[in-house]
Amino acid sequence: MTDWNCALTEERLSDYLDGILSPAEAAEFSAHASSCDDCGKLIAQVGGLVHRMRALDALEAPPQLIPKILESTLGPRRAQSAGWQRWFARIPQFWQPRFAMGVVTVAATLLIVLYTSGMSPAKLKKADLSPTNVFRTANRQVHLTYARGAKFVNDLRVVYEIQTRLQPDAEPSPSNTPAPAPQQNSQPPSVNPREKSQASPHPGHSQSRNGTMLASLLNTHWAENFGSIVIGTNTRSPR
Amino acid sequence: MEPDAQLVQGCLRGEGPAWEELVRRHSRRVFNLCYRFTGNSTEAEDLSQEVFLRIYRTLPSYRPAFGAFPTWLTSVTRNLLVDHYRRTRRDRLTDSIEDAMPKLENKQSAGRTPDKLALASELSAQLQQGLSRLSPELREAVILRDLQGLDYSEIQTVLEVPEGTVKSRINRGRIELARILEEMGLRPQN
Repeated sequence: MTDWNCALTEERLSDYLDGILSPAEAAEFSAHASSCDDCGKLIAQVGGLVHRMRALDALEAPPQLIPKILESTLGPRRAQSAGWQRWFARIPQFWQPRFAMGVVTVAATLLIVLYTSGMSPAKLKKADLSPTNVFRTANRQVHLTYARGAKFVNDLRVVYEIQTRLQPDAEPSPSNTPAPAPQQNSQPPSVNPREKSQASPHPGHSQSRNGTMLASLLNTHWAENFGSIVIGTNTRSPR
Repeated sequence: MEPDAQLVQGCLRGEGPAWEELVRRHSRRVFNLCYRFTGNSTEAEDLSQEVFLRIYRTLPSYRPAFGAFPTWLTSVTRNLLVDHYRRTRRDRLTDSIEDAMPKLENKQSAGRTPDKLALASELSAQLQQGLSRLSPELREAVILRDLQGLDYSEIQTVLEVPEGTVKSRINRGRIELARILEEMGLRPQN
């Protein structure tokens, strides 16, 4: 009880300051401190220091510290900025000319495929997107396109043939043509309506040179070369 | 606020934002420990960076059984500080502590350090000078207890010494520091 001394005070000083002395020890400690000037001064000094150290605010870290840490751990890209800024920083990478060109090309291809397959974006229904329907539409469209193309080529050839026949200089010898004509008169009646309309004003015995030419054209070459094609086309187009 | 344990799990799953948050949350504390121990802002910055690099690499080996994440972080920091102290001891022996003191003062008065404002507090600056004159064992004990606010058992985990040793180092460190500051003319009471 009475043997509490200065050495003991110094030894238990932190326990006293941290409040972990037993009540009995604390009483002896206080009793000694109040009677010993040196110990009282030491307690005040250390107690004041501890109090002020704990009240001290932590120092601010240098602002570049966190970016440096993130750069050395996660790599340079992530360390630049946070949140939405980082997200926006990626946009220029996508909008390089090469990428933009690719996007435009793909979009154009899709549009062309869409229109040729006969699907209008405005009238697009969910059912149109099922594989069977897409295939059916595409198949129908291919056949239609083919038939239209074939018809167009035939029309062109008719016009071209008429043009060449109407030009006498380009024609080798019109007198030769009547000879095979009678053989070709027995052609099938299922000829193109256009052919008939062209044939009716000139029954084949016209005296004019042009008339003879046209007649021979209709009776021989036309029937021979194109009749079968026109018939073939006609039989093909109804599918 | 997500607890540290969840952030650690996020980091282990490779989530960058979790790691970023962990760094933001603890970097100031690590920097303070390094600064108070070394007394040099540049060194403290480099050491803090090294600490987090080591944490990043050894995070998969962290187990909650080692203690709370902040305690583990403090252990890693302290071990690096001790390594750093041993590495640079030869350099320090060449120039005496008296030479080092004016250097520190010049640095502060030049206002080049980022923590200029914080060090404007006279106590903080003088405390730093006093700490640098303590032995490393006493210095780390006082910093962990009174500046970092760790309790005895946490300090025991960090320093890997018995509780009696921790208590005695803290007590001796405080008394010695108070005497040093008194020599320097600082009155703790005012």
